[in-house]
Amino acid sequence: MSLQTLDKQAVPSLMSRAISACLHTRELTLLLMILAIVVVMSFVTPYFLSASNFRAVAVGMTPTAIIVIGMAILLASGGFDLSVGSVMALSSTVVALLLLAGVPIPAAVVLGLLLGAVAGLVNGILITVIGINPLVATLGTMSIARGIALVLTEGFSVSSLPTAFSYIGKSSLFGIPLLVILTLSLIILFDLAVRHTRFFRQIYFIGANEKAAILSGIAVNRVRIIAYILTGVLAALAGVLLASRLMSGTPTAGNALELQVLAAAVIGGASLRGGEGTILGAFLGVVFVALINNAMTMLAVSIYWQMIVIGAVLVCAVALDMLVRRQSA
Amino acid sequence: MSKETPLIELRTVSKSFGSNKVINHVDFELLPGEIHALVGENGAGKSTCLGMMYGLHEPDSGSIFLSGKETVIDNPAHAQQLGIGCVFQELSLAGGLSVAENIFAGHAPATFGIVDWKKLRQRAEMLLGEFNLAIDVTAPVDKLPISTRQVVEIAKALSLNSRVILLDEPTSALTPDEVDALFSILRDLTMRGIGIIYVSHHMSEIFSIANRVTVLRDGRKISTHSTSKTSENEIVAEMIGGQVPTSAKQASDAIGDVLLEAEALSFPGIFEDISLSLRSGEIVGLAGLMGSRRSIIAKALAGLFTAREGVLKIKGEAVDLRSLSGAMKAGIGYVPEERKTDGLFLDHSVRDNLVAASLKKHTTNGIFSTASARQATQNAIERFSVKAASQDTNIRFLSGGNQQKIMLAKWLETEPEILIIDEPTKGVDVGAKFQIHDELRKKAADGMAILVVSSDFPELATLTDRILVVREGRLVGEIGAEMATDDTILNLAAGVEAPPQSTSNEAERSALQ
Repeated sequence: MSLQTLDKQAVPSLMSRAISACLHTRELTLLLMILAIVVVMSFVTPYFLSASNFRAVAVGMTPTAIIVIGMAILLASGGFDLSVGSVMALSSTVVALLLLAGVPIPAAVVLGLLLGAVAGLVNGILITVIGINPLVATLGTMSIARGIALVLTEGFSVSSLPTAFSYIGKSSLFGIPLLVILTLSLIILFDLAVRHTRFFRQIYFIGANEKAAILSGIAVNRVRIIAYILTGVLAALAGVLLASRLMSGTPTAGNALELQVLAAAVIGGASLRGGEGTILGAFLGVVFVALINNAMTMLAVSIYWQMIVIGAVLVCAVALDMLVRRQSA
Repeated sequence: MSKETPLIELRTVSKSFGSNKVINHVDFELLPGEIHALVGENGAGKSTCLGMMYGLHEPDSGSIFLSGKETVIDNPAHAQQLGIGCVFQELSLAGGLSVAENIFAGHAPATFGIVDWKKLRQRAEMLLGEFNLAIDVTAPVDKLPISTRQVVEIAKALSLNSRVILLDEPTSALTPDEVDALFSILRDLTMRGIGIIYVSHHMSEIFSIANRVTVLRDGRKISTHSTSKTSENEIVAEMIGGQVPTSAKQASDAIGDVLLEAEALSFPGIFEDISLSLRSGEIVGLAGLMGSRRSIIAKALAGLFTAREGVLKIKGEAVDLRSLSGAMKAGIGYVPEERKTDGLFLDHSVRDNLVAASLKKHTTNGIFSTASARQATQNAIERFSVKAASQDTNIRFLSGGNQQKIMLAKWLETEPEILIIDEPTKGVDVGAKFQIHDELRKKAADGMAILVVSSDFPELATLTDRILVVREGRLVGEIGAEMATDDTILNLAAGVEAPPQSTSNEAERSALQ
């Protein structure tokens, strides 16, 4: 490849370079696999290609897709956050409780998001300033956030929300659910931001070599804390949207969501070693997992078997990646 | 010159890490347009001095003045804002990202926070252009050879428009041509009034580039000389404290049978055609610059890396080593290069560290005997005169030299017949260095075969019987003890034509190829 890089006049080499570059990106591989699922499934069952099925899949994966943005950024910086599922549940219940108490919708939403920011700030401070390992710190806040949601509601869902609140979660634009449009916009926005803004480029330096990042004058702790706050806010946003869609705040929502999000991000090319991964890749990971689940449901595969398949996909994706790397090393 | 206000000045600064006083009332100043060399043995305090000027360590007492103004430097980001750039010994690049992005790590040209990739590329090309290097600035850094990465590292410090540049061993991975290019850049920079602090242990470099040289020893400042008014000998004598070590090379009559033999070991793309033999009683050096693959070749001999082709023989029998534990059974001991990350369990006691490779020796019927381990540790502490509060002290709290002694003792505990040791005295003080050399010589005299991997060429020249030189994964020559000097090894390792007087090296080299 390096030889071709030097040869700038030759047009065909540019083409082949583009192709080989594509083959080496996780995004394209995933896209091809997603297409493969769609093609195969559309032959197997006519219901798969229906608009209603696609809408259901798309809406169903919005919480994961929104949260994976934060998780991918954290993974690239060498961290991660296990509290996202709990923060989502907490914000959905708090927003619901605020609405029941008569707080206007915009104020309730903003307060819900602020709650996520606070949760992220706490995670960020525990991990950077105090120096607790991210696994332990976010395991702790995961439990605390879930606990608060359950205490506030005594374990019950909070329903009978004002009907106007369902607007965000249930309305459509040109036949596409607003939720999906919002999610896709966020994905595009953050994918571009991570690729092209100075702030987010720092994430990769931190994840690749934290000490080197410090010696390069990058304010590592500040960047890390902001990344955790962002993740908290995104988890809270997912919670608000969930409450709006279900018209209730559910303290038990998002159980084990953090692991699904992590799995999707890793399938999409992120790594727990840090320094790599993109938002687009992580999103495609979410789509891929959602489609596999959907396909299996359509094929009447039991939910227990689905867990086995998803686990196998995760391990295979990473194992394949390791083997490819070892080859090229 | 003394009328000028120094760009940066340390006034009677001191710094301790734990109970270890690493900097003791040091004064130092850097004038505009000056290249000021900072020299000293490993552990003399050079890196700590640089660290204080780059905001990594805060002085315990004394203060730092920038252009005459007392300043507290909070962290590297702050140092950069104050116009201080630094190139560290260890490479600090993010491998997956492009050359251009690495040069401007965290400071990429941007409008409204959005990176201007075109400008980034152009500026990176401009900076690298000064080195006359054709590098594709869009290529990921981890595809570049180490020497090029070092150049990228230097370009990174230049990218900040610093007034003060700290260089910590910047040439350790560079070829002589690249060193020349670097020096002409440094001279250009001084014309612009930039001051450079240059840490190196290559005396020839210091005398060709620096205006002044300050010597540190054991955390104290010994002297500051103008390079035109001193000599290499004077500086070296000050660095080591007067007593110039006698290079007690061992008598070669102790040399016995071949214990370890490699025949054409290869791993395409990493190293090729490595053939060597180690005899009982012999200390052999394996020399190479950064990126020469010297360490991975050593690993291939110790079962930590499996070559694809070639044969490894121990006492004449072919062996297939797939792990270090397999190699240990065959009589090999391996002391790794990186003490802190690969060699020691930092948060465990001196005793735990000492017996980690020889637990079996202290175990009867499956029961581990602490008393036996305690005795072994006591013996090692006495033999190496290790300074530790007790053998229960966490090894983290020992000085680098004492840690290194324990790491060596740990492997001697396994009673190997063949010892492979990577950088035996990296970052240790002079006393520990002599002691480690002494112990290695004694072990060789007792019949051990020892392979010393090192980039410290003067060390190899004094310690070993003969030196094998590797460059880019190939053996390029062998230098006998009588011919070995810092320069002869460096020339061979860097691929420079040997000077005419050492024609025998050339002959040996061509004989080997």
